Amino acid sequence: MGYPHSHDLEVGTILSRHFGDPKARELKSWLTHGGYEGLKKAVGMEPSEISTVVKDSGLRGRGGAGFPTGLKWTFMPQEKKGPHYLCCNADESEPGAFKDREILRWTPHLLIEGCLIAARAIRAEHVYIYVRGEYFPFTSILNDAVVEAYDAGYIGEDILGSGWSCDLTVHIGAGAYIAGEETGLMSSLVGGRAEPRIKPPFPAQSGVFGRPTTVNNVETLAAVPMILVNGPSWYRQWGTEKSPGTKLWCCSGHLERPGNYELPLGIPLKDVIYDVCGGAPNGKKVKAVIPGGSSTAMLTADELDVETTYEGLQAAGSSLGTASPIVMDEDTNIVRATRRIADFYAHESCGQCVQCREGTAWVARILKRIEDGEGRLSDIDTLYDLCEQLTGRTICVLADSVVFPLRSSLDKFRDEYEALIGGRA
Amino acid sequence: MKKIHPAVVAAQPFQVAERRPVDRLFADEEGKDRLEKALSRYPEKKAALLPMLAYAQERNGWLSPGAMEEIAEALDLTPAYVRSVATFYTMYAKRPVGRNWIQVCTCISCHLHGAEEVFEAFLEQTGTRAGEVSEDGEWTVIEAECLGACGFATVVQVNDRYFENVTPDTVPEVLAELATGRSEE
Amino acid sequence: MNARDNGTISLRIDGVDVAVDKGTTVIRAAEKAGIVVPHYCYHPGIPSRPAQCRMCLVEIEGQPKLQPSCVLEAQDGMVVLTESEKAREARRSVIEFLLLNHPLDCPICDAAGQCMLQDYAYETRQLKSRYQEAKLVLGRDRIADDILYFADRCILCTRCVRFMRDVAKDDALIVAQRGHKAYIDTFPGKDLDNAFRGNIVDVCPVGALVHEDFLLKARAWDMDHAPGICAGCSNGCNIEIDVKENQVVRVKPRFNPDVNAYWMCDLGRRHLVMANRGLRVDLPLIRRDGELEAVHWGEALAWLAENLPAGKGGAALVSPAESTESLFYLRGLLRQLGIEGGGYRLERGETAALPGFPSLTLRAERAPNAAGAEALGFREVDGPPTIGDGETLVVLGDALADAGPDYGAGAGFFLYVGSHDTEAARNATVVLPATTFAEQEGTFVSHEGRVQRFHQALRPPGVARPAWMSLSRLLAELGAGDAALDAAAAFGAVAGSVPAFSGLTWAGLGLKGARAGEPARAERGA
Repeated sequence: MGYPHSHDLEVGTILSRHFGDPKARELKSWLTHGGYEGLKKAVGMEPSEISTVVKDSGLRGRGGAGFPTGLKWTFMPQEKKGPHYLCCNADESEPGAFKDREILRWTPHLLIEGCLIAARAIRAEHVYIYVRGEYFPFTSILNDAVVEAYDAGYIGEDILGSGWSCDLTVHIGAGAYIAGEETGLMSSLVGGRAEPRIKPPFPAQSGVFGRPTTVNNVETLAAVPMILVNGPSWYRQWGTEKSPGTKLWCCSGHLERPGNYELPLGIPLKDVIYDVCGGAPNGKKVKAVIPGGSSTAMLTADELDVETTYEGLQAAGSSLGTASPIVMDEDTNIVRATRRIADFYAHESCGQCVQCREGTAWVARILKRIEDGEGRLSDIDTLYDLCEQLTGRTICVLADSVVFPLRSSLDKFRDEYEALIGGRA
Repeated sequence: MKKIHPAVVAAQPFQVAERRPVDRLFADEEGKDRLEKALSRYPEKKAALLPMLAYAQERNGWLSPGAMEEIAEALDLTPAYVRSVATFYTMYAKRPVGRNWIQVCTCISCHLHGAEEVFEAFLEQTGTRAGEVSEDGEWTVIEAECLGACGFATVVQVNDRYFENVTPDTVPEVLAELATGRSEE
Repeated sequence: MNARDNGTISLRIDGVDVAVDKGTTVIRAAEKAGIVVPHYCYHPGIPSRPAQCRMCLVEIEGQPKLQPSCVLEAQDGMVVLTESEKAREARRSVIEFLLLNHPLDCPICDAAGQCMLQDYAYETRQLKSRYQEAKLVLGRDRIADDILYFADRCILCTRCVRFMRDVAKDDALIVAQRGHKAYIDTFPGKDLDNAFRGNIVDVCPVGALVHEDFLLKARAWDMDHAPGICAGCSNGCNIEIDVKENQVVRVKPRFNPDVNAYWMCDLGRRHLVMANRGLRVDLPLIRRDGELEAVHWGEALAWLAENLPAGKGGAALVSPAESTESLFYLRGLLRQLGIEGGGYRLERGETAALPGFPSLTLRAERAPNAAGAEALGFREVDGPPTIGDGETLVVLGDALADAGPDYGAGAGFFLYVGSHDTEAARNATVVLPATTFAEQEGTFVSHEGRVQRFHQALRPPGVARPAWMSLSRLLAELGAGDAALDAAAAFGAVAGSVPAFSGLTWAGLGLKGARAGEPARAERGA
């Protein structure tokens, strides 16, 4: 488990400074690194003040959607008429993403602190950290930290003597990508199948147990304490106006130096792929990159000179997503890779919506048939048409997600499809 | 009995090699304690369902219909409902599995590193077919979707442990380590 | 289009302006405008609306994404397009996806001709498949003692699951697995065992759930349908009787918002199918020289008019499954005979309420018209009245099944007006063959006093006639009233002289019934 790699880029590592140091995560040691200073500040602030600080920082949701975090918090009722809840989404299951686990593993107290500050901002009295079931080794580290924090009075009754009380429960899943979808997570947490729900009602009106709820990603919450301590403009020293701050990258696939890197937003994607990660190993050329985790559109090697911001990648026809580039070298069979991606979505579909349930499986089967040399040119037309049928029609965006890698692979690597089809109509 | 803080009672590892089978989940002190602590963390009983399914699997190694019925009763749910939840998730074993439940990620990043060959190697070297339990009850091997360690392909989860950077050549090492774990008991 | 203070809003659907209450969904607003938006998972009688079938997606002007009309709340000024190109394409696409692995076994599927998948496949013109993969074949399962589940046909709309959970409040049916491997199931070893489980077959839009009793019995287009009232108990559930070749092959509930909504109980379903059986009396019979001899109606009525022991008193027994009209004219005849009132026997059984709609309750009284009998002066008795030697006995309806072979043998005059041949009935002096309720029109009065019409579903055997018809003819021959030529006239006579029915008319009862004192229901879609 090699980690962390060094690189030459100037960045005050916000999240990852103590990655790799098992001592740092113990509370006693963590406190010497400025642990819980943010919480100390937050308990003396009004909830809306906290939201304003985070709003001003421009922090955007790091779970893939990129929604402004401070703004999201303001959707919660300002007047308290009953319990509010914060759910921390640690269900990291997007293919290519492996950043939240590092936060659990090395800086659990940072996450706990972020959760508590967010809970105060949204007037919540209970935080659920929903961790994917598979992450046992990291959950157990988080668990130890939670117990430490309870014992030290950072969680529980009358936190830091403020009069405000907040509980925290670590709750693990049992294997379902769709439990990482906001409403799927909530459906799972309350004791059900992780089936997404229609909106309205929105979580901020009615979420878990029918109560106002906010769901935030691990990496998002981990950034909050330092933003509170250092202020919004400090956070904005990195990144761009629309995409400030730093990002934990997860680089995988055919790379010399795969792994996690904390980088400022805004640098060119090609720098991430080549300078930081060393490009494809064994002297191979890069053929394609899926930049933000599997639910984002493929970019060819010629398209990597794009700014790593939400707006930059969107303009390039893809998405920053979770900043989890999957790199494919020149020997990669793109059709095969796309098929394997489609398989993932077919396995993970919850099954509610007809398009997703049947469509993802159909896409995977067509791709397999093409991969096996039994495709037809009409299959390409069908696949393009299915991209239309799977977009914008379903309760959640799992169906839309398979379209991004699928359509981009058809657009940019059509020759590989046609080569396997061999002219059969 | 291991003392568990209520805040983390719903976050206990449940794919374990050392099973401690029990006929009635909530008849002994440990089961009662788990149930009570879990119920205390949520305003609705139903929310204790996943933690209790996990507990059942932690003890028995799988989820039997009897366990599901007992959990249903404890949480005022129907057994059918419990079954609908249990069958939704991949980590609950609906049939007994080997002491070492080997789950090989073959999703895209691991796939790009030849994960299918790693999977085949595990099958061959444990002498099992996908999903089946080996004769000696030690091994079950399945494919899994993304396990969240993509930079360190191929990733293999065995019970509550992660093995990373696994290749067909290092499969024997992994199996040996797992087997050693057994002999240390 | 302005929102008015009283909570009404106005919107335009496919060019039609319609005003609805605030909070109305677009699909209901469309219904009001006479437009049916295709749908599966939505059902007006099931409170949950998961919006997961995606069939009811409509285009809203100004919104880029199609919206599920079953949950979208109508807004003032909203412009809805249910037939825009985008909406139609989305619908066609849903059908295409549903048909991918569908077995297309319409030739052997009970739902053919009454299947929402067939209907919408034709409507969307999605008739050609471009699926080239091998179809996934799933099996069939017994979900309940009498209900089969064909997994291949299932479209996972979850109406069945949600009916059980939300209306029957018996969370026994679930979706197992996830994604394209999902299917409907119960807990292993626990088949569905609920008094209202038959409704899941009704709500199933396709042929995935079928009654074993109905399996392969009749095609939708071979059946005739008659609106009836269930005779299984006194709840008065509105039903539809499905008949093929003069046999009842199926019973389904008929919507009545005040009695049974969209539902009925399983006992009721089974009950009427049993109406097909039994030995029938199908010709008038007169005892001559110790034997019952078949005669024509004219002869039977003339003989009765001449030989009835008028004014001599006696005893009477009626069945509480007889129509109000028949009971009324029998009362008239009893008065001619000097018999005041009579008895009825009432079987009782376990009750079962439908928790999500408790007006629908399987009532303890296992007969449809005990209230009607009471209103006409009949009283409950424990057993058939004892008949002294030479006394007069009149029996109306199938009330002698367990009376024993000697019952009535010592009567001086025994008139049996009934449908079924029993040992006791063979002791009669005169037998007038009567139709069962399934073979005539008439009314029943439910436990709460609701008077409801039922209609003829079967052709009667032989020359059997409704008892109200033959008895009113008899009374006319005796100079004691007019012969009723149809059920409307018969009911008119009832309403005209029995206070409990005053103010009601046959036409006014419509298809939803009424309680005495309530205004006519014509405007409620009779």
